[in-house]
Amino acid sequence: MKWLILGPEIYFLAVAAAFLILSMMRPNGRRDFSAALFLAGLGLAVTLAAVRLEGALFHGTYRVDLFSQLFKGLLSVGFFLVVCLCSNLKGIHETRQPEFYLLLATCTLGMMLLVSSLELLTLYVALELASYSLYALVPLRSGSGRQMEAGIKYFLTGIATSALMLFGLASLFAATQTTLISELMLKLPALLNAPMAFIGLLLTLCGFFFKLALFPFHVWAPSVYQGAANQVTAFLATATKVTAMAMLVRLVSMSDGNTSLARVLIALAIVSMTYGNLVALVQKDFKRLLAYSAIAHAGYSLIGILSMNPTGYAAAVFYALAYLPMTFTCFLVVVKVASDGRDLTIVQLAGLHRRSPLLAMALLVGVFSLGGIPPTIGFTGKFLVFNAAMERGYFLLVLIAMINVVVSLYYYILVVKAAFLLDPEEERPPIHLSAPATILTVVMVVVIVVGGIWPSHLFELARAAVQALR
Amino acid sequence: MSMHWAQFPYLSAILLSCVVGLLVILFIPRERETRVKWVSLTFSGISLVFSVYVYCAYDRALGGLQFVEKLLWVEPLGIHYFNGADGFNLPLILLTGIVHFTGVLTMWEMKGRVKEFFAFAFVLVLGVFGFFMSMDLFFLFVWYDVSLFPMYLLIAIWGTTRKEYGALKLFLYLLAGSALVLPGIVYLAVVSGLNTFDIVALMQPGALTPGQQRFAFILFYLGFGILAGVWPFHSWSPVGHVAAPTSVSMIHAGVLMKVGAFGILRVAIFLCPIGWEYWAPVMAILATIGIIYGIFVGLRQTDLKYVIAFSSVSHMGIVGLGLSTVTAEGLNGAVFQMFAHGIMTALLFSSLGYIYDRTHTKLIPDLGGISRVMPVASGYFIVAALAGMGVPGFASFWAEVTVFISALKVYPVLGVLAICAVVLSALYMLRVVQKTFYGQRNEQYAHLPDVSFSLGLPRMILVAVMVLFGLFPRLMLDLIQTAVIPFMTGGGMPR
Repeated sequence: MKWLILGPEIYFLAVAAAFLILSMMRPNGRRDFSAALFLAGLGLAVTLAAVRLEGALFHGTYRVDLFSQLFKGLLSVGFFLVVCLCSNLKGIHETRQPEFYLLLATCTLGMMLLVSSLELLTLYVALELASYSLYALVPLRSGSGRQMEAGIKYFLTGIATSALMLFGLASLFAATQTTLISELMLKLPALLNAPMAFIGLLLTLCGFFFKLALFPFHVWAPSVYQGAANQVTAFLATATKVTAMAMLVRLVSMSDGNTSLARVLIALAIVSMTYGNLVALVQKDFKRLLAYSAIAHAGYSLIGILSMNPTGYAAAVFYALAYLPMTFTCFLVVVKVASDGRDLTIVQLAGLHRRSPLLAMALLVGVFSLGGIPPTIGFTGKFLVFNAAMERGYFLLVLIAMINVVVSLYYYILVVKAAFLLDPEEERPPIHLSAPATILTVVMVVVIVVGGIWPSHLFELARAAVQALR
Repeated sequence: MSMHWAQFPYLSAILLSCVVGLLVILFIPRERETRVKWVSLTFSGISLVFSVYVYCAYDRALGGLQFVEKLLWVEPLGIHYFNGADGFNLPLILLTGIVHFTGVLTMWEMKGRVKEFFAFAFVLVLGVFGFFMSMDLFFLFVWYDVSLFPMYLLIAIWGTTRKEYGALKLFLYLLAGSALVLPGIVYLAVVSGLNTFDIVALMQPGALTPGQQRFAFILFYLGFGILAGVWPFHSWSPVGHVAAPTSVSMIHAGVLMKVGAFGILRVAIFLCPIGWEYWAPVMAILATIGIIYGIFVGLRQTDLKYVIAFSSVSHMGIVGLGLSTVTAEGLNGAVFQMFAHGIMTALLFSSLGYIYDRTHTKLIPDLGGISRVMPVASGYFIVAALAGMGVPGFASFWAEVTVFISALKVYPVLGVLAICAVVLSALYMLRVVQKTFYGQRNEQYAHLPDVSFSLGLPRMILVAVMVLFGLFPRLMLDLIQTAVIPFMTGGGMPR
């Protein structure tokens, strides 16, 4: 019965198969959505039931532990939430909707495999499964052709970093003669002073920097965020970021506190935060703004990882936990306000407080959480990350990050201003949220606020997950 | 899990009444504006009653930290939910209760988006209350930020002159302050090696080296100093005060600026006493410049709200001067001045608010002779202006005298300069009063009604408080003394 620990993976494989069959039948949007919602809900239950499982398979190349299961849980939450947004899937043509769900499922599956793989080749294969699903998802949007530009940009930069990463994996293997992470962990710290191992590890990390949209691997993010369908962007902005954070924690923890690596990561974190925040200041499109804010957040989360102490890894895991609900809440507002499936400029948020007070409130909470204002989960995440960095004595880094937070609040407050203050040029009708959508919105707001006020349990969970890394 | 609930949690009850008030308002339909106001009044009244109770029930003979509520919050990081009351924060808790209650009354005639206004006001006041009573650095920072973010919306939506600019400037300035405070807090918690954010624990002698104290002190002084309106970081405050709607100006100038000054006291001075002594001359110089600058810039203003706003900069300079003396009297006077100035400014803004709502102008030349139309409404303003000048019989007299006596002892030159400036300020306030209220009768406003008894209620309360503590200053000075003396002599509070 040891295959049972692969429950979530097998389940999502089955979901993918189910949508493969549906894609061959006559298109029917409602049926596809209902099926997806049911399967996603069940998937959530299956994954949560599997959280406490432990075990290793395939000679130690694949391990199920609290760390992997926590992120699998988070991924299935992300999958479920994104499917919840698909009740009105205007951005994607009806005939392609089954493929859309199919690719979402395979992407989730790929990322689930990723967080459990403890061997470099397995890791690479899992990563590519997730990546190729996304390459296909991005240009799936119906419309003007901007999605094609986004798709090509994403694909080209994606395979380029993939090549870099392969080179890195090869160097790592050459330096250590092993592809097993458990062995790498023992051998690598001593070898990191040699250029080959160091470059190998750094290039391997690049694959995930790309997913996280960390500077200088961010070039795809603005076009893809804007070009892809709103639901696809929501998935891209939540689930893949969370996975990338998890993988960075896993890979960086192999280096055992190497200072040269920390220095490189510090530089990347600072540049990424500063660049993301400064460019975000002038954005007009809300999704583009969120893309630049994601680049900045990549920098913040890296601060926890580069602290290279257990508190830092736990803080980074907590940051991932926090990042999902707050980003999702912003996309929830995007999807509901742009109900015709188009892009949403910030100006179009004008008058939201009258059109839907609840959505305006959700936007306020989500955006302030991204900005790191207490008492939200986003503040707690930043606080934990800064605390970890301070333990390593990186005072200046924390100060620079805080200055960045203040800069970022300027554009976040512009969003709030649009929603609460500006009057729309033409009167728009009120937005009616269905009962499930109302519940979803309220739940997200409550999660963000309650997670900020009572972070204790979540932080304990993150610490326990990080212990499983050893 | 360490837990300590000595008695009924009065302090948490104050916070809870704000939270409940907020939640109740959220569930009232937005058309029912009167109901929103009554709910606001009720819950702000409850929090006022509790704050008066803790003020009176505090055992002055015993001293130290009372009404302690301590609950372990996040164990791995040593974060506690830790509230306590002592001679330093009790006057400010009382001040917040009074200003919020009278602020709700002042806004009684408000129309348009009433529900949101009172909801955000509760968030603001919740943050302020929490900040004053918290004894844990983490929570202190959380409350600090909670009190800041509603400010943007309160000013930008309901404000007046250049409201969006004022709101944004205020918001970014104050958050820039928090960008210094947060690294400072984390720095202290980490370098002390105690793995706690508990202020009482971090106050242990030897927890922080002199070098660390000097470094951290300047972070906190600058961070909180922005909020306290310390020159040259004050420039957000006049713009923000002028833009804000009346009750927000009241809370803002009356209470929120004290959050900054109290932050300097509770965090910077408590935890880094060596840094305090080291940087005190710098604080004194900046404070004196603030006093003089506020007065002279205020002299040139034609907008009455700017006059009040610059006088706030100057009065907060007096608080800063008191803190910079590193003496018991100085601290005592500074805390008393925080309270006295809070009440006085609230009264100034509140009485001006009534006049502005009727005449729709706050320019001195336009208002000329308004006391002939509204003698009572003008009377409240004049009383507050007299208090601002330091006329005996009002609370601020005692506060300013205490500060100046100690300042003269420690910094004779700066003290003399500051006193001369304050004497001059009397001149300028009198000029403002004369030009605004005692000119030719302005026929344009002849038909306007004077303030009625019920609408005048908030101003009466504020005047009464000012006179009460002006006639019986020991009601407050003795209380503050119970905290100041052990702090100055023992280098820490008795537990």
